[in-house]
Amino acid sequence: MTTLLEQRYRTVLRMLPAYYRAEREEEMVETYLDDMDEADQDLARPAWGEVASIVALSVRTRLGSAGAPPRYAAIGSAVRLFALLSVALLAADALTQRALPAAWLTGAAPKDRADFMRTFTGNGVLMGVAQTLLWVLPLAWPVAYAALLRDRRRAAFTLALLGAAPSLSYLVGRPMGQGLGVAPSALTVVTAATAWLTVAAVGCGYHSDAPPARLPFAPAGPALLGTCVLMGGSMVVWPQGADSVWGSGTVVVAAGCAWWVARIRASRRGAGTPEPALPLALAVLGTVVLAQRCALMGLLTSAQAPYSTIVGGEIQAAALAALVATLTVSGTRGLLARTKATAAGAAPHA
Amino acid sequence: MTQAAFFILTALIDEPRHGYGIVREVEELSDGEVQLRVGTLYGVLDRLAADGLIELDREEAQQGRLRRYYALTDDGASALSAEAERMAAGARTATRRMAAHRPADARAQPTTRPGRPGLAGGGA
Repeated sequence: MTTLLEQRYRTVLRMLPAYYRAEREEEMVETYLDDMDEADQDLARPAWGEVASIVALSVRTRLGSAGAPPRYAAIGSAVRLFALLSVALLAADALTQRALPAAWLTGAAPKDRADFMRTFTGNGVLMGVAQTLLWVLPLAWPVAYAALLRDRRRAAFTLALLGAAPSLSYLVGRPMGQGLGVAPSALTVVTAATAWLTVAAVGCGYHSDAPPARLPFAPAGPALLGTCVLMGGSMVVWPQGADSVWGSGTVVVAAGCAWWVARIRASRRGAGTPEPALPLALAVLGTVVLAQRCALMGLLTSAQAPYSTIVGGEIQAAALAALVATLTVSGTRGLLARTKATAAGAAPHA
Repeated sequence: MTQAAFFILTALIDEPRHGYGIVREVEELSDGEVQLRVGTLYGVLDRLAADGLIELDREEAQQGRLRRYYALTDDGASALSAEAERMAAGARTATRRMAAHRPADARAQPTTRPGRPGLAGGGA
């Protein structure tokens, strides 16, 4: 006879994907209930620690690696690629946003330098420390990028947490000199969501079974340097149109276009359905940058920003939206093909 | 190799065991320090099986439910042996250094005046 505890435990196990439950559920229930007095089972509930272990197993099995069914292997690859590309983008943004002001400061007038330094020293010691931390902590992103590519997963996750921490401060508003009751702007919310989505992707995607992180098509160092150059160059070349999302948007548009060129060449050579991981990862990355772009457009419009900035932002938003749509279609097609293979019981993805 | 994987492989040295048998044996082996949750256990078992360190030995029905027994493979025994040797070498190094360090402390203590540890042994 089924006890209440068994029913409750089976409910918890529903978090696991169907393929895994089909293979393991009975065995896990037996392991869990073994040695438990049946008379007490109607009063007991699965312990929180047990539930947490099933949640962790659920994430691990859904973000599969080699050996998992094709659909879960593809989803796992997409999440890991998104994590890596997003960390790279945040790393390049942190470096560029600090390199450009530093370059400007070296040639700036003494009054401008004093104004810049007053950001750190003009509001007391505590605010100075807070502003310095906000300036320094995002530099954890480039280190997280290096750690991830060196397969130092825990270090990469910790560094990503540090890199994302300032976004919470901006969300609360205190370091900007505002009160706690001031509602954060849509841009602040989207920026924080991007950072924490990246942290979650690093934490969940790079579990202990996952393969090491590798960038597609490019070595890690030149890829980050190239991203910084493209990001910084796009801001320097058109300063009157650049805003805080412009550089990231340019990089994602360039990456999406590069993927399409490679895809067209591959299809001319007669290659079949593309691997869904890269287009899906780029589509998610494009979506978060597009969300930032849209949030910033609202601020720029209400602040009556220069016409060129508005038009440039709109053109970039349109390019991002088009890329996201086409990448999503391509990635979804590939994922559906693998879902069919999983349903048909095809051999595990190698 | 994680602590959980190490203890699970150790639990399978003498005989094949099923899930709960492994949980109980690991708890005993670690003096209660490692208490495996079922989710954790099967995550590690999946990984060890994929790496060829354990294999399915047999299946049995127990009160209408399934019991699977897992056995250590030759590769698993080699990996465990290598890990145990690595840990033993680390423990030997730590013990040697502790032994070399303690007499120095013991010698230093009589000549050290309270509150001035930086002058220990100074005869000026």
